[in-house]
Amino acid sequence: MAYSEKVIEHYNNPRNVGQLDKSSTEVGTGLVGAPECGDVMRLQIRVNPETQIIEEAKFKTFGCGSAIASSSLATEWVKGKTVEQALEIKNTEIVKELALPPVKIHCSVLAEDAIRAAIGDWKKKNNVAETAEAVAH
Amino acid sequence: MSPLKVLNSDSTAVPVVCWSCAVAHNESTLFCTACSKVQPPPGVDYFQVFNLPRHLQIDLASLEQEFHKLSRKLHPDRFARATEAEREFSLADTALINDAYRTLRDPVRRTEYLLKLEGEEIGEEHAGHNTGNAERTSRVPADLLEEVFELNMQLDELREGDQKDPALLSEVGAAGEKFSGMLNELDGNLQHQWALWDDGDAATRTAAQKQMVALLDRRR
Repeated sequence: MAYSEKVIEHYNNPRNVGQLDKSSTEVGTGLVGAPECGDVMRLQIRVNPETQIIEEAKFKTFGCGSAIASSSLATEWVKGKTVEQALEIKNTEIVKELALPPVKIHCSVLAEDAIRAAIGDWKKKNNVAETAEAVAH
Repeated sequence: MSPLKVLNSDSTAVPVVCWSCAVAHNESTLFCTACSKVQPPPGVDYFQVFNLPRHLQIDLASLEQEFHKLSRKLHPDRFARATEAEREFSLADTALINDAYRTLRDPVRRTEYLLKLEGEEIGEEHAGHNTGNAERTSRVPADLLEEVFELNMQLDELREGDQKDPALLSEVGAAGEKFSGMLNELDGNLQHQWALWDDGDAATRTAAQKQMVALLDRRR
């Protein structure tokens, strides 16, 4: 199956590629990988300590076009959201937006995992208790 | 992979009657032994398709020869003027030998296939699909992720740079050697279990089977 136009668009013009200062307390880093395909994805967020709003998001992904597009889209979507709002993002929404075929659904799962991991890291750094919602996942 | 439930390991002894000449023949044969007419796909396992014993150590050269021989005999050109039924049989047989050959020639797929024939469950079948996302991700050790990510960064740097940094080159080379070494060790371990399974007594066989399931499960 061919890649959708949206995947190709994100692949050719990935948004927010790069990295943030891992040691900053405002920054949360999520590093996730899929052993099945060897993809690795790093997603970072910088959270405003006053408002808990994610003001900046960066990613670096080594993987297929769908994995790159999924993480690119994820950084776009988390920006401007509060940490709690960002946790609401579901991989199924990424699948829908990018029109991912069934064999590429795991790429969107990876992106959702990366968001959760980044937020988890930020919470740990800032001694924010994990919400019940996050723990349940 | 085709469903295993249609396979019956005891079926070699069951005679099947040729649709054309009505002579009974061994079920695993693709062509009637009496009239040479093509037969519908026999309900046998991949080893039986190639008349191989259910062993893990197999002669790949003769497997390939046998596959090519059967492929030629089943080639559509040979059935251009055959009946509709014969054309269908030859196509279905071709699909069967293609699947069988691809599975058996690959060491890991062959092992996995044989273990399933022996009733073992591998990977997700017993790990369960319904575990949460977080749980699944956490199964990849964090330090391995770091290592793989860092290696990818280094490879990117080498691909982009005009001047190859010799220190970086040797670092990536060393990592490559380390991973090949690990792979060789796993291969060696698997082949050791193959020998135990093929030649061992019942207890040795059971133990080897458990070892191989554990080895294959490490992929997930």
